[in-house]
Amino acid sequence: MKSKTNLTILLILITIITMISIGFKIKPIFDNYDDFNPEAVYKIKYTFFFKSDKPNTTVRTYIPKNNLRQTISREKIRNDTTMFFLKKEEQKDNIRAIWNTKNETLSHSIEYEFVFSGKSKKFKIPKNFVREKNKHKEYLTASKNIQSDNLKIADLAIQLRKNTKNDREVIKNVFDYVYKIPSAPIITLTDAITTLEQNIASCNGKSRLFVALLRSLGYPSRIKGGIILENTDKRTSHAWAEVLINEVWVPFDTLNNHFAYLPAKYLEIYHGDKSLITHTKGIQFDYIYQITQENHISFLKMNSEELNALSGFSLWNLVDKKTIPIKSLHLLLLLPIGGLLIAFLRNIVGLKTFGVFLPVLIALSLLHTGFLSGIAVFVGLIIFMGLISYPFDRLGLLYTPKLVISLTIMVAVIFIATSYGLKYDIEWLTKLTFFPIIILTIAAERFSSSTVEDGYLIALHKLLQTIIATTVSYFLLSLSWLPSILILFPEIIVLIIVISVFLGRYIGIRWIEIFRFNPILKLER
Amino acid sequence: MFSIIFNKKLKTSSNVVGLNERNIKLIYPNNPKKHYPLADDKVLTKEILHKNNIPCAKTYAIIEFNSEIKKKWDYCKQYSSVAIKPANGCGGGGIKILKKDKKDNWFSGGEIITDREIFQHIASIITGLFSLGSHDRVLIEECIEPHTFFHEIYPEGVPDFRIITLNKTPLMAMLRMPTDRSAGKANLHQNGVGIGIDMKEGRLLEVYDGKKYTNHHPDSNFLVNGVPIPYWKEILEISVETAKAFPLNYLGIDIVIDKNKGPQIMEINVRPGLGIQLVNKMGLKQVIRKVI
Repeated sequence: MKSKTNLTILLILITIITMISIGFKIKPIFDNYDDFNPEAVYKIKYTFFFKSDKPNTTVRTYIPKNNLRQTISREKIRNDTTMFFLKKEEQKDNIRAIWNTKNETLSHSIEYEFVFSGKSKKFKIPKNFVREKNKHKEYLTASKNIQSDNLKIADLAIQLRKNTKNDREVIKNVFDYVYKIPSAPIITLTDAITTLEQNIASCNGKSRLFVALLRSLGYPSRIKGGIILENTDKRTSHAWAEVLINEVWVPFDTLNNHFAYLPAKYLEIYHGDKSLITHTKGIQFDYIYQITQENHISFLKMNSEELNALSGFSLWNLVDKKTIPIKSLHLLLLLPIGGLLIAFLRNIVGLKTFGVFLPVLIALSLLHTGFLSGIAVFVGLIIFMGLISYPFDRLGLLYTPKLVISLTIMVAVIFIATSYGLKYDIEWLTKLTFFPIIILTIAAERFSSSTVEDGYLIALHKLLQTIIATTVSYFLLSLSWLPSILILFPEIIVLIIVISVFLGRYIGIRWIEIFRFNPILKLER
Repeated sequence: MFSIIFNKKLKTSSNVVGLNERNIKLIYPNNPKKHYPLADDKVLTKEILHKNNIPCAKTYAIIEFNSEIKKKWDYCKQYSSVAIKPANGCGGGGIKILKKDKKDNWFSGGEIITDREIFQHIASIITGLFSLGSHDRVLIEECIEPHTFFHEIYPEGVPDFRIITLNKTPLMAMLRMPTDRSAGKANLHQNGVGIGIDMKEGRLLEVYDGKKYTNHHPDSNFLVNGVPIPYWKEILEISVETAKAFPLNYLGIDIVIDKNKGPQIMEINVRPGLGIQLVNKMGLKQVIRKVI
């Protein structure tokens, strides 16, 4: 009895200490809550160098602004004192930074730095669009490099519109046509017609042709300019297109096959068929974009240094110094939480599953494969393996060699399915390799032995309960803020032990037993 | 909210013991893990039963190595019927009942079985086919003939009594019987039925088939409720003796009544299931409170 009270006191003490430790961090974290939740954060620095012997030199560049999928913060501008800086909003909300100097002899450098936080965004396209001919004239007329009035382009556009049933199919046809044009890193300006004639182009040419084709069919569209952010120094910017669909500009990247979708690492800077940088002619000019990916916690406005400076203990320095790959760190942190969930499902709810932590591990693989196709593949594999091992059970083979046979067949099936999926472009078939094969084999083996011992009905019942537990685990583990919370408050791991001790001493009736013992419970009432 | 999640009300008011409470309150404190093999290994169980002269099927042979198979089987051939069991089998796997006809042919389930097939079966038990891969021993014992009492209720399979004992005291009992749907097995979750037992009077109560309570076995018209159980006093006595013989204080004891020899211990179980509460329409806690 005494050891039990000691244990309780110890647990309470541990809880209080962890709570205090959490308490220290809670206020600064709450103060910095950010409801934008970006998926990617990068620091970008434009650096320009130039030498000019002219009395009046100007360098202009577009700079990004906030919108629904990106926020720009911590803007910094550095230039020498001889320069005059001006920020100006141009027609239709492009923003331009303009540097001007009257000094003739010096060489100059300019730095413009900011932090980008971005989300990916997928757009739904309705079948048919509301179209107002007179409203968006400027996005429908031909321009110098977007020759939508050209006969060749108009012919092709009409060709592509043939046999389509609605606006969405028209867009899709045009997109597919332009996407299939081979790509090449062409530096010189490629206009829409050249792209069509040469049948090879970079992002610029493809985007111009795409816009030209759509304009010729009467869909308001425009070129969009920006940078694809990667953890490196770059000199290339990127161009894609936008189509105005029911008053929303929807992005299409015909080079990288993004249909009505923009990935998180696309920095949007300006729209229109323009150059990102322009400068006075005849000067020596060079530039570079320095891009560094920043570690971040999606729901916080704090940057890395601020996170490191948090009082109390956190795992942020592991993330910051990249000691452990971030994915593995997340996985490690999620395992105990998943385990606790399973303990709850088994001892409080009363679910019976194949293997204790199997549902958690399967749920972690579902994070890669996606939920529905993942569950379907998982169940399919298990039942298939259950059936396959049946004849081997009948043969009276020993347990371990039988398991080896199951494992081997499983590996073979996964390889065959993956190569079949690759060959015929069936995406879900290529995802089998994400499942931990050993665990699947054991689950399948348990299923088949359960069919022999308890009969098919009970085995299927257990499989169903395993799927329920997997589903619950999946939804817990797919909460994107959960690993971040655990990185900020690793004390929670200690609390898991405390909670587990209480769970381990819980003697109440399980939820499922309420149904099982209902006849008695009814009598007692 | 917490009281809903953790069923606070039921925990204090209900007499039903759930799996959590069974494990923490009954099994862990009463059954030391090191003694589990005494119940899980049929050979060890029988050694203790024989040593204490508790009635159970006679042991004809125990085979541990392949080299002994022929000699020991030849010895067993003198009997007219035998049961071959893996010492550590689970779910009834690997059990074979063999019977001899007048011409000395052995039969298993109505079909002739050759010596060779018998050797193979014994060898497969030894290599662990029925005990998840670990080496196992073979138990060859006397074949029990169910008492005619059971034939009136249901004529096929081997029905058995399950008695739960705590600290050498019988708490609750039921009679498990096969049905047309259970393929000779008497287990509740394999479509067998459970029949409640009035411990004091030694009479059968209602039949529970996993869903509803009736007064009949589902496959016969024989009125079960109220029927006195033959040898009831002996059944209680040998279950108490068995409980005393083992260093395990919470047991499920399985007993069958042999046509000639009366009640016999079949096996003992350290993790007896909780369905017996349903069969008797009674929670274990109220019995524990009353008896102990």
